[in-house]
Amino acid sequence: MSTLINVQAADGLPRARAPALIGALTLLLISGPFISLAFATHWSNFRFVPGDTGSIGVSLGYSLIALVLIVALGTPLSWWLARQSFRGKWVLDAVILLTLLTPPLAMGILLTTLYGPYGPVGRVVAGSGLELTNSAPAFVLAQFYGALPYYVVAARAAFEGVPRELEHIAMTLGKSPWQTFWQVSMPLARLGVAAGIALAWVRALGEFGIVLILAYYPQGIPVKLWVNLQDIGLPAVYPLLWVFFLVAMPLPLLLGLASRRQRMF
Amino acid sequence: MRIDYRIDHPVRLQARFEVEGFTVLLGQSGEGKTTLLRAIAGLLFAEGEPFGGLPPQRRAVGYLPQGYALFPHLRAWENVAFALPRGAQRRARATEYLARVRLADVAEHYPTALSGGQQQRVALARALARKPQLLLLDEPSSALDAATRDEVMAELISEVREFGLPVLAVSHDPHLAALADSVAVMCERRIVQQGAPAAVLSRPGSVAVARLLGHRNLFTGRVAGHEPNAGVTLLQWEAANGTTLRLPQQPELVVGQLVQWMVASTAVRLPALKPEMHRSENPVIGRVESLLNLGAHFQVALRCGTDRLWLAAHRNLVQHYGLEAGREITVDLRRNSLLCWPHTV
Repeated sequence: MSTLINVQAADGLPRARAPALIGALTLLLISGPFISLAFATHWSNFRFVPGDTGSIGVSLGYSLIALVLIVALGTPLSWWLARQSFRGKWVLDAVILLTLLTPPLAMGILLTTLYGPYGPVGRVVAGSGLELTNSAPAFVLAQFYGALPYYVVAARAAFEGVPRELEHIAMTLGKSPWQTFWQVSMPLARLGVAAGIALAWVRALGEFGIVLILAYYPQGIPVKLWVNLQDIGLPAVYPLLWVFFLVAMPLPLLLGLASRRQRMF
Repeated sequence: MRIDYRIDHPVRLQARFEVEGFTVLLGQSGEGKTTLLRAIAGLLFAEGEPFGGLPPQRRAVGYLPQGYALFPHLRAWENVAFALPRGAQRRARATEYLARVRLADVAEHYPTALSGGQQQRVALARALARKPQLLLLDEPSSALDAATRDEVMAELISEVREFGLPVLAVSHDPHLAALADSVAVMCERRIVQQGAPAAVLSRPGSVAVARLLGHRNLFTGRVAGHEPNAGVTLLQWEAANGTTLRLPQQPELVVGQLVQWMVASTAVRLPALKPEMHRSENPVIGRVESLLNLGAHFQVALRCGTDRLWLAAHRNLVQHYGLEAGREITVDLRRNSLLCWPHTV
């Protein structure tokens, strides 16, 4: 033991070396693929395949729309689940878990069954000229279903972490429930909600399985990556892959770092 | 202001009493005191007056829960400003309220950077900024350490008095009750006694109230007889070697009946310095067990038979009699301070 435990940590307790060693090894395993991408890329011959730039626009634009819908519809649901208790609530919990746990491919099939040209909703909507497969709305729909449960789970936990007493006090200070939500619940839950937004953003942008089935067109980055891989080969996907990281990561990284550095009151 | 509330859930309780100036509602934990405050603030369903039926945001109450519930994401002045309407003067007015509780210098601090007493005063300023008609305090003395509690409470009470607001503080702390204008005692989920603190403290209406008020000299005795001519009832204190005590006549007590009786520790007197001037009313012999120095006063524990009698005595007297552990002494229980109630199991 004495060889492993001989360093004093900041809190004065002996610091174990074994976890640090294992941790370093794990980190190396995690970062390995990213490092290898840096080496595998032909930097001297870095060029896009036709259609790559279009897919970037598709992914960014529609993911943003999907994200707005997710936050607009998911936030009231999360708050409601966090604050209300009633008989049979477990059924709702189960439904959310179910959408979270359903494999993307299966979800894509379910959505096609519902929104496809022969599905009950798809047929009705098609009457008004709106196609819910292989269209922009279908693309957003696929991302919405793929990312919503992640946002709801994260935001709900964040709202549950807000002491109810503070919301009650806000009301005794003359605030309506609506004002209380915006002035107390939301500011106190903002780190968790931000994490939920970041998670939903990455899920929406990276959604492949559902999109593949419901909205092969328009092609966003994930489907385009797959197409490039099939048609041309591995080296052809690296440039778009770099762009994917570049557009997907800033938001969650910023939010993640901000919440880590946040002065915790 | 008259409070009249009936609550069915989560505990069933009924409370009807007057709030005059700084009123303390005294009750043990579990009596539902916090529940009552939350009901008055409109935070749980209950029937009653004042404010009956209004949603919390329309009730003009300032509610200070235990722990004060300051908003952790807001600075001290922002916490106070939370209750103020938007406008150019908002910050200036919040700072004014902070100045009234003498905290203007910590206006920029977040709650975690404030001491317990400071947090309490910020919460008070915030509640006052709402311009309430009634202030509700939940266990205001519980989070303060014993050394500063009385001082902080006295300050809080004087600040509240400056605003001229009726205040209802619920507490299980008899010290706080002693500082109040009025005390209401809650026992078994209803109000059993209300009055000025001195009156309630010296004449609790039942053994349970006496315990709640912190009286320690509670004993069992047996009615030995009545002397109508002298206006006294005789009580035999069997545990203290059968000492006979004389108390103001209570004709309803039956001879032979078991009773519980009490005497305030301040009504247990050391022998007078000039015995010829004061006739002893109820001499009791005891052996000093321990002396607790409380500054100007001493708490003295006397062993009387198998019971322990507490007396509060001035330091000068303790020194005069050279009281020390093991010493035997005769003390006097003031007749008019003896209270007794039929024994309840």
